[in-house]
Amino acid sequence: MLIAGIDIGNCTTEVALAIVERTSEPRFLASAITGTTGIKGTVDNVPGVMECLSMAMAGTGKGISDLELILLNDATPVIGDVAMETISETIITESTMIGHNPATPGGIGLGVGKTLLLGRLDEAYAGEQVIVVVPGHIDFSQASDQINSAFQRGVAIQAAIVQKDEAVLIANRIQRTIPIVDEVSLVDRVPLGMLAAVEVADPGRSISTLSNPYGIATVFGLTPEETKNIAPIARALIGNRSAVVIKTPSGDVRERRIPAGSLMLIGERATLEIDLQAGAQAILQAIERTGRLRDAKGEPGTNVGGMLERVRSMMSNLTDQPMEAIRIQDLLPVDTLVQQAVVGGLAGELSSENAVALAAMVASSRLSMGRIADRLAKETGAQVQVGGVEAHMALHGALTTPGADLPLAILDLGAGSTDAALAGKDGQINVIHLAGAGDMVNLIIDAELALDDRNLAEEIKRFPVGRVDNLFLLRGEDGTVRFFEEPLDPKLFARTVVIKEEGLAALPGNLSIEKVRTVRRKAKDRVFVTNTFRALNAVAPAGNLRLLSNVVLVGGCALDFEIPGMISDALAEYGVVVGTANVRSSEGPRNAVATGLVLSYADSTPLGSSPSVLPRPLAGEGQR
Amino acid sequence: MSLNPEMIEKIVLQVLQEMGGPKPSAPAASKETAGPGAMVLEEIGEARPGTRSDEVVVGLSPVFGIKFHKNITGIPLSAILREILAGIEEEGIHARVIRVKHTSDLAFVAHRAAKLSGSGVAIGIQSRGTTVIHQKDLAPLNNLELFPQAPLLDLPTYRAIGRNAAKYAKGEATNPVPVRNDQMARPKFQAIAAVIHIKETKGVVPGAPPVELRVKLEK
Repeated sequence: MLIAGIDIGNCTTEVALAIVERTSEPRFLASAITGTTGIKGTVDNVPGVMECLSMAMAGTGKGISDLELILLNDATPVIGDVAMETISETIITESTMIGHNPATPGGIGLGVGKTLLLGRLDEAYAGEQVIVVVPGHIDFSQASDQINSAFQRGVAIQAAIVQKDEAVLIANRIQRTIPIVDEVSLVDRVPLGMLAAVEVADPGRSISTLSNPYGIATVFGLTPEETKNIAPIARALIGNRSAVVIKTPSGDVRERRIPAGSLMLIGERATLEIDLQAGAQAILQAIERTGRLRDAKGEPGTNVGGMLERVRSMMSNLTDQPMEAIRIQDLLPVDTLVQQAVVGGLAGELSSENAVALAAMVASSRLSMGRIADRLAKETGAQVQVGGVEAHMALHGALTTPGADLPLAILDLGAGSTDAALAGKDGQINVIHLAGAGDMVNLIIDAELALDDRNLAEEIKRFPVGRVDNLFLLRGEDGTVRFFEEPLDPKLFARTVVIKEEGLAALPGNLSIEKVRTVRRKAKDRVFVTNTFRALNAVAPAGNLRLLSNVVLVGGCALDFEIPGMISDALAEYGVVVGTANVRSSEGPRNAVATGLVLSYADSTPLGSSPSVLPRPLAGEGQR
Repeated sequence: MSLNPEMIEKIVLQVLQEMGGPKPSAPAASKETAGPGAMVLEEIGEARPGTRSDEVVVGLSPVFGIKFHKNITGIPLSAILREILAGIEEEGIHARVIRVKHTSDLAFVAHRAAKLSGSGVAIGIQSRGTTVIHQKDLAPLNNLELFPQAPLLDLPTYRAIGRNAAKYAKGEATNPVPVRNDQMARPKFQAIAAVIHIKETKGVVPGAPPVELRVKLEK
């Protein structure tokens, strides 16, 4: 009889098509994979399932009408979602600092003097130390003429602050070398008549005086008390090639913590309240202390409260359950940095602010699987069975990997959740579902690179990056060089690109390879490696990773070009063999659940005669 | 077949009159009435391939600054050239100006300039103001950035074009120069553009090599 095992995942739907006969092992005909339509576990999945079925059928000579039985996984009753909140912000009061980094400042060195508008330069007396402020309506040649004539009168112009992008143009036209900072868009808000310092470093270097609190103290003659107050300014300027600091009577730079609210974690062992500001590490520890989470609530009226309510209301819409019935079963917090405009800045300065990203996972209704089954039965005319816990099925499928044997642990790296299951020699199976997987990585990449494009983030996650040095040459992130016969698309010229299978895609802005690579690997590490330890600690005998011998990776993210390696590296010191599954020696880490469904059906029905791969019955699911 | 430049010009004038637009003398104003001395372009011999990789070559069309001193909307060509050169200079790149004589086709003007550019990057510009950023490895009719609608280009745009070309030469990623869009620009200026182009093409010297120019801009 013709059987289809179907696995509906967060991201993809997979089918394994097999003939199960009384007398022989199940014979697999074909497999297929498509994107999941709608949210996992809802009736919207049916079109995707139908498409996947017909894809699998193609080339087998069979039609959907030949199908006798469809086995549907009891979709892991979890749905993940991600959200992010910024928890710090930088505020500049009274414009004490311009820490921005124009691409092309002019001149070199450090200049100290009183700020003076270019138009009032004739009021300066010979020998007076001034810093000229050049507004945008004045052209560079006019500005340099005026500066030069002031020089001739003996005015000691120390530096210049320019609104337009003209620092090099002015520097090239004036008689002396002075530091010039340009692209100060809100130049009219620079306080005039105040003592200021402008510093520009050599190309490839960063400023040394204004990024040092004692340097600023020297320049402005500050008291120890005042020096303490300007320390945040100096810190904010570290790494810049140019900077302006203006001494105003009450100017200040502060880093403010945004009251993001607190999280109430209701667990098996304890109920804890923790402030989001404490950061990811502290929240993770709190989650561990509470034992298995039963629910989590955010403080009402705060950011985190709103964030968890959004997750809850989205889930209740999707699963047709009342909002009160939605319980958060796991949270994965990750510390990230997001680029935010500095409040009170004069040149559109950006500053990296702390943020916490949260992946939440909730239990979904099992009722809807029944509705999917009914709909599928109607559309195909075949009998539909819902059954088999997803993790058990995945174990079943993963065991078809050559070289895999019991006891075996699997790590299912999906889009919405990371799941682990351990089958001991005695057939006891432990399962855990954790929030945070591929989608979380996308969210972090999107935020940290300020892309604002989740699809692009997905591509950055999946493929290595490179740079098109010229139209015939692509330099990969590992330094390898690839040449092309035909010139590349001019849109790629001098750009950092994602090296996809079907071609190159340019990244926006001036992102460097190194930056993209660092952000990408850090995101994967903080989600997948963190979750690997959480998951394996939960299922390992006595919570001891050393007692695990084999770990097999399944799921879409096991296909990633670096995640398996990162997990392998992390687990190496525990003496664990980690590898990517190769289901049925042909499917790679894909199709484990669909294959497992078919195999366990063949084992468990009188039709099947082959001995069970797994000791049967799959005794008690020990959820820890 | 009988459509010669003079006839087109006549038709244009008639159309403009009927539109009640600029007086018949308006298109004539874009010819040779610009104040003298605003820009001196002195030929200093045949243009050679550049050896320094920090240069961008600006390729001018055959009669840029000779027959024409203003672009299609009346912006002085001297101001346009000044902005382009300033944009290149601000990025710390050296600019070299040449005149391409053998063609008035912008793509080929720019591509020829790119072939002579030490960095392989060049800007091509026509008398009516149409501009392109080109690269030597590209096919002539391809480009890095094209600014086809001259009537919509203003001086800050030309500055940005110079800046972007310099960034390409440095191998830095650029953001495309923002350009306004206006569907009426084409119908409104097409006829004048054609007239200017015909005049420009008359200045073509077949087979003549490109020449290096010494540029003197008076502010």
